[in-house]
Amino acid sequence: MANKTAIIASNGSAFDAYKVFNIATAAASADYEVTIFFTFEGLNLIHKEGFKNLPLPAGKENLAEGFKAANVPSIPELVEMAVEMGVKIIACQMTMDVMNLKKEDFIDGIDVGGAMMFLDFAKDANMTLTF
Amino acid sequence: MSIKVDQVLDCKGLSCPMPIVRTKKAMDQLEAGQVIEVQATDKGSLADIQGWARNTGNQYLGTKEEGDVLKHYLRKSNPGEVKEAAKFEHTIQNDELEKALAGNKEDMILLDVREPAEYEFKRIPGAVSIPLGELEDKLDTLDKNKEIHVICRTGSRSDMAAQILSEQGFERVKNVLPGMSEWTGTTEGGNQ
Repeated sequence: MANKTAIIASNGSAFDAYKVFNIATAAASADYEVTIFFTFEGLNLIHKEGFKNLPLPAGKENLAEGFKAANVPSIPELVEMAVEMGVKIIACQMTMDVMNLKKEDFIDGIDVGGAMMFLDFAKDANMTLTF
Repeated sequence: MSIKVDQVLDCKGLSCPMPIVRTKKAMDQLEAGQVIEVQATDKGSLADIQGWARNTGNQYLGTKEEGDVLKHYLRKSNPGEVKEAAKFEHTIQNDELEKALAGNKEDMILLDVREPAEYEFKRIPGAVSIPLGELEDKLDTLDKNKEIHVICRTGSRSDMAAQILSEQGFERVKNVLPGMSEWTGTTEGGNQ
């Protein structure tokens, strides 16, 4: 059986985005099935506009230079790569309702669902990660 | 020194996870048995490439360091390669070959038919390298009167090579089983 990696992304800074998408794309490269559930502030990471300019954590703004120097890909590039490699993205319906967000506010190719949709995948995942 | 490969992938200047992502995409386009050289400056790529190969079942051959650049060599594995039964009837086991090599080597040729990158990183001292794909063009470099022991990684490519040699009039040919994957005798090469 293929390896399955289930990820919950619930925070919205640039650091969180790199943690989530680096792990997700590396796993997809090794032919793991990957599903990410974006909830609460994690929704920023797939928001069409928001993900272009994710904040660095307070006090760490100076690291922007470091990211540039290390030639780290941008978040939109990483997200596009992840989707292209078959990483499945689920946006949390409940959080969207609370924040008054529509499916169209997010990147293309996502699913919108509830906790059970994620749990159904995660129940037989051999890794579940939370960021 | 450069090693003959089927594709060179430039990942210089890219950070994690890009070398792995690019390697996966490039490997998807290769045929089974082909060898890729992945050039990277990300120091983490050494452990990443090894881990990736273990998880995908591809063969990690080794890494050469040239200045700041790491050159990783990988061979796309063939799902049937390990299981396929050998068909050439004359065979010799690894341990018997090891004994033969300790004796008089004047009368024998040890022919390694793996890819040049595999040979570069780990080979038996004295082995002659002719990749399976080039064998038919290089038959005249081999002495028909000598005993030829053909070796590869698991005995499958060497089986095909032994059949080719036999069909071309070589009478003293033996396929070495199981091959380099389980060779415990002396070796030499770039990884040591």
